[in-house]
This record gives sequence, structure tokens and C-alpha cells, in this order.
Amino acid sequence: MATPNGRKLLEVDHLVMHYKTKKGDVSAIEDVSFSLAQGESLGLVGESGCGKTSVAMSLMRLAADNARYLNGEIRLDGEDLLALSEEAMRKRRWKSIAMVFQGAMNSWNPVYTVGDQIEEAIDLHIEPRPTEKQIRERMSRLFEMVGLNPAMLDRYPHEFSGGMRQRAVIAMALSCDPRLIIADEPTTALDVIVQDQILKELKKIQEKLGMTLIYISHDIAVIAEVTDTIGVMYAGKLVEYGSTLEVFHRPKHPYSYLLLSSTPSITGPRRKLAPLEGEPANLLDPPSGCRFHPRCPFATEICVTDEPPLEDKVPGHKAACWHSDRVPVTIGVAV
Amino acid sequence: MTDTLTAPPEVPEQEPLGSIEEPLWRVRLRLTKRSLVQNWKLFVANRIGLVGLVMIVIFALMAIAHPILMATVWPSQIYHPINGYDAPVSEKLVVEEVTDPVTEVDLTTARIQYGPFTEIGETVSISQQPAPPSFGGPNPHYLGTDPLGRDVLSQLLYSTRSAFFLGLIAAMVTVVFATVVGSVAAFFGGWVDSVLMRLADLILLVPLLPVLIVVSALFRISLPLLGLLIGILSGFGGTAIILKSQALQVTVKPFLDAARIAGGGNGHLILRHVIPNVLPLSFLYMMFTVTDAIALEATLSFLGLLSIPMSWGIMISIARTQGYLLGSLEYWWLLVPAGLAVSLLAAAFFLVGRAMDEVVNPRLRQR
Amino acid sequence: MLKYVAKRLIQGLLLLMLFLALLYILLDAQPGDISLQLSANPRLPPEAQEIVRERLGLDQPLLGRTVTYVLNFFQGDLGLSFTQYPRTVGSVILEKLPRTILLFLSATILAYYMGFALGKVMAWRRGKTVETGLTLGGVAAYTVFYPWFAILMLWFWGFQFGLFPLGKFIDVDEWTGAPMAANRVFMRMLISLGILGLVLGAVSLLAHRLPPERGEQVARYGPPLVLVAFLAFWWLSPLRSYVADIAHHTLLPVLTLASVQFAGVMLLTRASMLETLKEDYILTARAKGLPQRDIRNRHAARNALLPVVTSLVLALSFVIGGGILTEGIFSWPGIGGQLLDATLTEDIPLATGTLGVIGIIALVGHLISDVLYMYLDPRIRTS
Ligand SMILES: Nc1ncnc2c1ncn2[C@@H]1O[C@H](COP(=O)(O)OP(=O)(O)O)[C@@H](O)[C@H]1O
Ligand SMILES: [Mg+2]
Repeated sequence: MATPNGRKLLEVDHLVMHYKTKKGDVSAIEDVSFSLAQGESLGLVGESGCGKTSVAMSLMRLAADNARYLNGEIRLDGEDLLALSEEAMRKRRWKSIAMVFQGAMNSWNPVYTVGDQIEEAIDLHIEPRPTEKQIRERMSRLFEMVGLNPAMLDRYPHEFSGGMRQRAVIAMALSCDPRLIIADEPTTALDVIVQDQILKELKKIQEKLGMTLIYISHDIAVIAEVTDTIGVMYAGKLVEYGSTLEVFHRPKHPYSYLLLSSTPSITGPRRKLAPLEGEPANLLDPPSGCRFHPRCPFATEICVTDEPPLEDKVPGHKAACWHSDRVPVTIGVAV
Repeated sequence: MTDTLTAPPEVPEQEPLGSIEEPLWRVRLRLTKRSLVQNWKLFVANRIGLVGLVMIVIFALMAIAHPILMATVWPSQIYHPINGYDAPVSEKLVVEEVTDPVTEVDLTTARIQYGPFTEIGETVSISQQPAPPSFGGPNPHYLGTDPLGRDVLSQLLYSTRSAFFLGLIAAMVTVVFATVVGSVAAFFGGWVDSVLMRLADLILLVPLLPVLIVVSALFRISLPLLGLLIGILSGFGGTAIILKSQALQVTVKPFLDAARIAGGGNGHLILRHVIPNVLPLSFLYMMFTVTDAIALEATLSFLGLLSIPMSWGIMISIARTQGYLLGSLEYWWLLVPAGLAVSLLAAAFFLVGRAMDEVVNPRLRQR
Repeated sequence: MLKYVAKRLIQGLLLLMLFLALLYILLDAQPGDISLQLSANPRLPPEAQEIVRERLGLDQPLLGRTVTYVLNFFQGDLGLSFTQYPRTVGSVILEKLPRTILLFLSATILAYYMGFALGKVMAWRRGKTVETGLTLGGVAAYTVFYPWFAILMLWFWGFQFGLFPLGKFIDVDEWTGAPMAANRVFMRMLISLGILGLVLGAVSLLAHRLPPERGEQVARYGPPLVLVAFLAFWWLSPLRSYVADIAHHTLLPVLTLASVQFAGVMLLTRASMLETLKEDYILTARAKGLPQRDIRNRHAARNALLPVVTSLVLALSFVIGGGILTEGIFSWPGIGGQLLDATLTEDIPLATGTLGVIGIIALVGHLISDVLYMYLDPRIRTS
């Protein structure tokens, strides 16, 4: 997916990853391609179990031991991460790609202070090694940026509230000036108000620093608040990809449409929720043809037999569906 | 789920939970049976637990075998584990230094046992006690005889029964004490809880063996009394503390309030609602009590502190006090069978306990 | 934090009083007249019997007697030994206590140090077949009939290979013409061991304080250097052969006692470590690009240590029981062997006094592991 203006920061190219299990292969990532330029933000959305975390973990090369890469490349600055030695990859973690985990509430080791744990990352990755004082200043600045009192650096994780812990995780992710930050459902475990605060904070920081961000959520409304581009995943496949506004107002895949219309809108008018029926596909034995066909209201014969390619429906707006034209335009969904 | 277009997903047929007409006890029975079957499957999936169970069954068979053998093939005056006597007489060469204890005897022993004028090089007939294993003759001793001329195999089998007997008493006393103390402490809370739990702390803290050693100096301890003591001490200590926290989970459940409003007395509530919920867990810890009881009995017997006629510990103790322990494993049959029996039966109950722990404690199961 | 320690200390003292009171009541409950049991022993001359009766306040009611007993105990007055008259129980125990403490402490430290180190590595490289084998091995070590095991160890290493003496504390023949009594040599050894421990602690503290590269060097070369210095000190000392004799007698009992504890610690560490490795912060540590060794030691093992320290409390009873048997079988002249002898010779004051002291040991052990836990877990330390 080369673009006219040259190489992008991150290029994921025909990535296929399966988990080996006793019951067979789980096809968690199936031919996923996307790319991200410096300063861009991408949101990955989809129901739980459709492979978003697998993609994120693959970018860090931290997927579970039973993960097998069957095809594809992940290029960061043109360098294929999957081909790197473990030691070389280790040096790139946090320095090139940092991550805010799903359930980041428990990301802190309970026996060390939060400051010590951030310092650990700085110690490892910033060269030449800054002095104790510089590190302290840096951490204070980071804490202020995410809205925390720098005095909290000397506190232990259990002395933080959930929201504060999450802010501190974001500070830690920023600590080594990574090229790319991945946030995997960073606010899911928090209550709605805190969730909203942190989201706003994150957006602010992203704009201020021109940070490249991949934001993962099962909640499409959350994604829309933060990112410029949206990728919709279903059953290990990227089924739609385009600018946030485009996908929001003119979804080209029935799954995106159903996701959108089953999300209650906080700001928009009340509307009837169209339910997304059925269960996500079983990845041990994915449906033939289009993986969404068992749940799709528009499914026809071809959907059962042939797999739709991910292609431009409108320039820059891709979808993998045989019946994109039948997907209705969403109305009244507020962004 | 599979392809919904072609085939509806299969829903496994559930046994109906019970109809209105069915009496409550029968519903309960079936639910119990179902959970038992499930737990059994989990238990069996853990091979180590199964190994323990098989070992226990083998020991149980040994315990049953003893009275049967005594009644049929083993004449009492020879094979009785306590009063029997048989010292096979064998011809032995008197030598200066014994290399083969089966065919040779040293001068000192020969002079004591045969006659004061025995000289080196003579062949003398010596009655052997302890005697090594013998397989032929009218009265074979498959594991030899002990220093008093008694059959070791018979002692071993007889002692198996006392080990089970002791374990059973200790286990039952533990279950009773632990459930009652735990439930009462959880149910009443307040000072009752404080007093009971401080006492439990103390019992947990004080090492069991030295206490039993001193108690044995003060009182005559028989097997049932020992079982009782171990049961009380382990039931009132750690087990009670664990069961209390389990019982606490029950006492905060709303149905207990409902039952109280419906007019249940305290005794009724504890008996009917609290105890049934902690009982399974207490059966689990009972297994560890049995392990402790077996080891403690053997240890105290080994030290010669119990007034018990025969047990595995006594068998080793006799070998020790008669001076057959150190030196070498020449008299291995005095040491190895009893020591192995203690270790293996203790291990068997421990393994079963561990496996049960994994069934009860789902967190341990998923690795 | 100090408040916590103080609270624990007071709780411990109360528990100790309760324990002693129960002990006395138990004594009192035995068949026969307590005053006769405790004083009227033919081996005690009449004037000593009179003193004992007075000290114990034996004409008071049960409550008074109990209180007197507990108070006496706290003043260090544990009565007169029947078998070693005119020595007091207190002096007999005091003479033997250091040897017991050495045995218990070194076996426990060894078992926990080795068990933790090995369990940690085992969890890190776990394999299916090894798992079953090790579990069975650990269970075997845990449930083996301990006296039997100790006898086999003695037989195997002492008799069969002749590597170690067959029990006892010193080889009397070697000590003719020694410049000082064995006990004094032993006390010096203990003091030097204490200093060794302090220095090692200081070194590890220093390693933490220094910047990473320097700290790592100190952590790597410091302890071996200190150990070499320690050994060189005794090697050059005129007491060398005597110290070596005591050490030679100490080794096998310590190893025997340690090896049964060790198995349990190893299994527990392994289980705890496997639990810890599933935690989210381990994933964070990996994502941060930390080297494997740091993830294992700094993050996983550090947290896996907490349940292991908790287990120290439960293991105490096990160690003490095992220690008593070890002393008995290896003829090690400590208070455990003392307890056995006193019981067999029906020296009731000595037996109960020793049991009281063993109770104190258990309490102190409990307190230490509590404080250690608090030190290791900030969630308790800072709340
Ligand atoms: N280690 C693993 N082994 C086997 N299957 C896995 C493993 N991890 C995740 N999966 C499966 O892969 C699929 C994708 O999971 P995940 O990437 O976590 O999805 P998401 O983050 O979108 O919820 C799910 O069906 C999940 O059950
Ligand atoms: Mg996920």
C-alpha cells in the first residue's frame, strides 16, 4: 500500500497469523493490510474476539507463544519487524512502539513505585543515559502532561485510583518518545466519566505531540472521538477501512453499519437500535466466503461461496463486501 | 458456533432440573449426583490424584488381608504380629569378620548364642532373630522376622489397619472441630469470633510435634487418644481459619437473612445453611490431617513415646532400640518396609488432597 | 510501619502468655498432685524441693499458680532440672540454645535460598514431563517419614562414604589440648557468621544504591569476595582445626534438615512464579523491552517471593518438628534433643521449660516473617 508521498511509518502487508491449539488453528489475523503515516491516528474496531488485540500484539511481537505468522510483513520505517532477531526487536520495544494495554489497570508491578517503573524504561532506551535529575524532570513533565501531580511519582500503584493509574500508563508509554503508540481498549475498565476524561486527554496529547496512534476499541463511538481513520475488523479480517467521517456516515460494509446503529448515541437524537444478531464467527472453523455472511441481512449465494476482496468503493474508502451499495447511509449518528 | 445458515447450532440436551411433583430430596440427590460426577471427572483428569487413590486402595486391601490371612493360613503362635514367635535355626560358619550374614556368624554372637567354647571355623546352629526373608519351609517369612522373632509382613499388614484407624479418627475429629469452630466464628462474629480465632492462631503457631512429645511425657497416649489430639489440634488450627473464611461467604448471602426472617433459630441456621456449605472444604483438609496423623504417629512411636502395641513406627523403633539401625542396611527388612509404608501412605493421602484441592479451587486448575 | 511491628509484638507477647498458661494448666491436669510432680523428685534434695514449692506458689488456687508460673517464666526462672540438679532449667537451655538456633537458621536459610532460586528457574523453563516428575519428587520429600530419611542420610553419607561423622557436635579426641572450650569456639563462630550476614546485607544494599553498571559489578563480585575473606579469616586463625571440626559435624544435620524443606519451597516458588507470569505487569515489562533476566528477577520473582515468605509461617512448625528429630538422630546437643531426653527421663520441669522456649522460637520466627513480608509488600507497608 505504497502512497504517492513515499514510505509510511507503519506498513502492515498481507499479514496472516494463526494460533496453534489442540483443537486446530485459530485464524486470528487473516490477510490484514493497512498503513499509517507519521502523525496519523487509526482506530481499530470490532466486537471482542475478532482479532484486534492479536494485531496489536503482533506489532509489538508479543503475541502468545502459540502464534504462528504464516504470511506477510510488518514494516516500521521500512524495516520488517517479523524478520528481526528477538534481541533487536527487544531494543525497539517501547522506544519505537509503546503500548497501553487492555486492562492497563493491572499494568503496574505492585512492589515498585510508579516512578521507578517509568525510570526503568527510560534507563533502558534513552541514550546517552540522562542524569538522575534529567530523568526526574522528564517524568515530572510527563506526569503534568497527563494531568497527574509529579509528587505521585514516588507512590506505589495501589495508592492510585483506576483512572490515575491509566493516566500514568499513558505517561509511561510516552516516556521514550516512541514513533508509534498502540492503545488497546485503554479505558474499557473505567467508569464512563473517567473514560471520557482520559479520552479527551489522549486526544489532546496526540494533537499536541503529533503522535502516531493506533487506538483499539470495541466501541465505535469511542474510536470516532480520537482517530482520523477507522479500520473495522471482523473475524480476523479487515472488512472496512477509511476516514472516520466516511465510515461513520457512509459505511460500505453491513457489519460496520450494524455496529454503528447498535451503538447508542450520547449526543444524537434517540433512535431505535438495530440489533447485531448472532455470535461472532468461530475462528477455529470460519464460515466460507465472506466470514460475516451467517449474520448478514444482505447475504446472498455469492457471499457463501466467494470471498469479497477489500477494495476501494469510493477513493480512499475500502470495504470487503459484495453488496456495499445496499448498505444504507446512517442518519443521526453523531460524531 | 457453526454456520447458522445451513444448520442450527446444537444445544446439548440438559437434564430437566425437576418438576413440581418431584419431592425436594430427590432433586437434591440428583443435583448432588451430577456435581459428584463432574468433580470426579475433574479429579480423574489429574493423574497424580489418581495415583494417590490407587495407593490408598492398595493399602486398604493390605489392611483387610491381615485378619483373613490370620484366620486361614497363618498360625497365630507363629505369625501373630505381637505375640508370635519363630526363629528359624540355621547352620552357620563362625568367622572373624562377617561378610554374608545369612551363612556366617561372628565369634561373639556365636559364643553368646551357641556356647562359650565356640571357635572360629566351626559350624554352629543358630536360631536367627531377626531373620532375613525366607520363602521356603513350613513357615515362610516373606519379609523376615524382627529382633523378637516376629513376622515382619504380618506386622506390616496389621499396622496398616491401625494407620487407617488413626487416620479415620483424626480426620473425623478434624472435620467436626473445623466445621463447628469455623461456622460458629463466622456466624456469630464479634467476640466469639475473636476468641476462637486467636485460639486458632495460637494452635497454628505452636509446633505440633514438641507439644505431643511433652504431652506424651505427662499422659499415657493410646492410638484413639492420639487421633483425638491430632484431630483437635489440626481441626482447631489452620483448618478452622480457612473454613471460617469460607463460612463468611455463606453468612453474607441473602438467603440466610431470608431464612432468619422466616424464623429459623441460630442452631438451625448454622446446621442447615452454614455447615453444608463448608463441609466439602473440610473434607479436603481432612486429607492433609490424615497425612499429618500418619507421620506423627510414626514419629512418636519411633521415639518410643506412645503406648501402642504395634505400628509402623514401633517396628522401626524396635529395630532402633535393639541396635539394628545404623551400621549398614544389612538388616534392611527391619527398616525399609515400615519406613516406606509410612512415607507412601502419607504421600497417598497428600496426593489425593492436592488433587481435590484443584477440583475445589478452580484457580489452581487452569495453567 | 513501626506501629505495625509494635502491634505484632504485643500480639505475640499475649499469645506467648496464653501459651504458657495453657502449658501450665496441662501440667496441672495430669494425674497425681502437681506439687509432688514438680518438686518431689528423689533426685532433688529436700531444701531444693522447698525452694521449688515456694517459687511455684503451689499452695495457691489454679489461677494463682498459673499466673505465678507465667510470671516466673518471663523472669527467666524455669525451675530446677531433676536430672541435672543443681542446674536450673534456664541455664541448661541457655547453653544449648545457640546450637539449635544455628541448626534451624542455617537449614531454613539454605532451603529457602536454594528452593527459591531453583523454583524460579523451573517455572521459567517449564516442561510437561519434568513437571510431573518434579511434583512427585517434591511430594515425596515432603511426606517422607523424616526420621527414616535422616537415618538413611546418616547411613549413606556418614557410614557408606565416610564423608561425615556419625552425629554429635565435636570429635572429643581432637579437642585434647584445645585452648578453649568448644562452646566458646562455637560462640565465636556464631558471631563471625552474624558479621558475615551483616556484611553481605550491606553489600547488597550498596549494589542497589549505586548506579546500575557499578551496582551490577558490586552484586556480582562483592559476595564471593566477602565469603573468601570470611574463609581466609578462619583459615589463618589458630583455632582453625577446632572450627573445622565443629563445621564438619554441623554440615550433615543442616543439609538433611534443609533438603526436606527445600523441596517444599521449590514447589511453592514454582507454582507462585507460574501464577505471577500470567500477570499483566509481566506483559508490560516485556513490552518495555526489558531483558529476560530482568523480567524474571526484578518483576516475576520479586512478586513470586511474597507467598513464599508467607509460607515461612506455616513451615515453622515443620522446621521445628524436623529440627527436634534431627537433633535426636544426629545426637546434636541442642534444645530439641534436650526435649526428647527430658521427656524420656521424665524431667518434667526441663521438658516443659524447653517446650516454652520452643514456643518463643516459633513466635519470633512468626514475627520475623511478618516483618519481612511487610518490608517486601508495599501494599501493607504504606497502609
Ligand atoms: N493464545 C491464543 N491461543 C488461541 N486462541 C487465541 C489466543 N489468543 C487469542 N485467541 C483467539 O483469537 C481470537 C482473537 O482474539 P483477540 O485478538 O484477543 O481479539 P480482540 O482483541 O478483538 O477481542 C479470539 O477468538 C481468541 O479466542
Ligand atoms: Mg482485545
